Amino acid sequence: MEIVVKIDEIVFEYGGQPSDDGENIETPPNVALDGVSIAINKGEFVAVLGHNGSGKSTLAKHINGLLQPKEGMVWVKGIPTSDEEKTWEIRQSVGMVFQNPDNQIIATIVEEDVAFGPENLGVPPAEIRVRVDEALEAVGMTKFAGNPPHQLSGGQKQRVAIAGILAMRPDIIVMDESTAMLDPIGRREVMAVAKRLNSEGITIILITHYMDEAAQADRVVVMNGGKVVMEGVPADIFTQIDELKEIGLDVPQAVEIAHKLRLGGIDLPKGIVTGNQLVEALTNVNRN
Amino acid sequence: MLKVTIGQYYPADSFIHRLDARMKLLCTMIFVVVIFFIGNFLGYALAALYLVVVIRVSKVPPKFLLRGLRAILFIIVFTAVLNVFFTPGETLVFELGFVRVTQEGLLAAGRMGLRLVMLIIGSSILTLTTTPIQLTDAIESALKPFKKIGVPAHEIAMMMTIALRFIPTLIEEMDKIMKAQMARGADFDTGGIVKKARSLVPLLVPLFISAFRRAEELALAMESRCYRGDVGRTRMKQMKMALRDLGALISLAVFTGGLFILNHIANIHGIW
Repeated sequence: MEIVVKIDEIVFEYGGQPSDDGENIETPPNVALDGVSIAINKGEFVAVLGHNGSGKSTLAKHINGLLQPKEGMVWVKGIPTSDEEKTWEIRQSVGMVFQNPDNQIIATIVEEDVAFGPENLGVPPAEIRVRVDEALEAVGMTKFAGNPPHQLSGGQKQRVAIAGILAMRPDIIVMDESTAMLDPIGRREVMAVAKRLNSEGITIILITHYMDEAAQADRVVVMNGGKVVMEGVPADIFTQIDELKEIGLDVPQAVEIAHKLRLGGIDLPKGIVTGNQLVEALTNVNRN
Repeated sequence: MLKVTIGQYYPADSFIHRLDARMKLLCTMIFVVVIFFIGNFLGYALAALYLVVVIRVSKVPPKFLLRGLRAILFIIVFTAVLNVFFTPGETLVFELGFVRVTQEGLLAAGRMGLRLVMLIIGSSILTLTTTPIQLTDAIESALKPFKKIGVPAHEIAMMMTIALRFIPTLIEEMDKIMKAQMARGADFDTGGIVKKARSLVPLLVPLFISAFRRAEELALAMESRCYRGDVGRTRMKQMKMALRDLGALISLAVFTGGLFILNHIANIHGIW
């Protein structure tokens, strides 16, 4: 397996600013990341879970060099993010989709916005046209190419943002809580696009606090207080119900239901994390 | 949802709409300069005729142009009135106390009024037939020659684009804040102008805070998409001059030539 992102023992802290009352006493720095190490393989779908303030968004911003760690190193495709000459190369390979769909669309027309990334990279005009059309097709937004973004729904805007990233031909897409501000339909749309892109070979790093989304990943990394506290396949993570509850996280609905059914005496197989798996297991129970 | 129209673009498929935005910008600027050199009413008649032809070709309904005029009617009337009273002249039309109205004053007022009306109509045709994006691109390329003396052409265009992009978003947000405050008993509709203005303060503070937060997030998103100013940047949509753009320029040249001839004739024969 080829490792595309390697995060090695990174430490990051915010703050150290003077306090609000104007006195020159520095507030103690707020440690956001405290020795985080993760390696992500090519083509993997990794979910990073954690409640607010767990450091998961700070981690995301380290992957494309928006933030530099105080200690430790981050490599993207073998290039350290601290290499300033390679910053643009790294940002081309690592696309970022942010939380607020309104604050990441730059142009007044959908297709112009999708073209923004390749324009910045200096791609020839004819090639940009091709890439924009392909990217809009990939997220199913072709028929909105000429619309102004403020007429779109939240889910549609996030799909446009993903298209804008795709047009840069990235290897990795980091979704920094990209579904947090969406309604259930928008979330489903965005997740469907992410999963399809992943099946086409793009590495997806999904930062989220929705358990049901994390359950669909290949691997789950759970963060708490700036540290990685659990790591593994969803089936292993979500069966540790008590540990998850201790750090303020819920388990996916399907896991919760399966857990209660087992307690109620229904024999269900281990490793149920998604709704579909639960439905399948329950139909088998019926047949027996 | 709130219906927001940016600029005043009138979508239609006409010769003027299809013209290159840069050419339209150039022609508009030439036209504006030329009408300030018209010295007689024959010239204004010709300019009016030219404008009427352009409006017909552009397929923009005249009422859209008149709407633009209505907004600045006050300024036109005010300027004209000032001209009537403050133009020195010999030929007295009537006098009332210290108010002297002279023939020269009336003529100057008429000229100034006509100039302003034509200036507004001329530039309205530009904004009515050009999308804000095309206009921004045209302004960017028009400013490009001044880059050497430090005019940030690309940055100005980028700021305009972002402003255009965020106007609807911020209007929507303001609407939401207003409703939230109305729900808690805020009153935006009654009272005098001072009270109304004061009631806007609690609206503007959250709006500004949010605008700054948006700006910060947008900057991060732009950086993530490799934005680094004008360095090595290409554009998807290339602007191309076509034969019709040359045609437009020629028509303007013919009009300008006609005006100069008229001016000359008027000077010889002493026409106003």
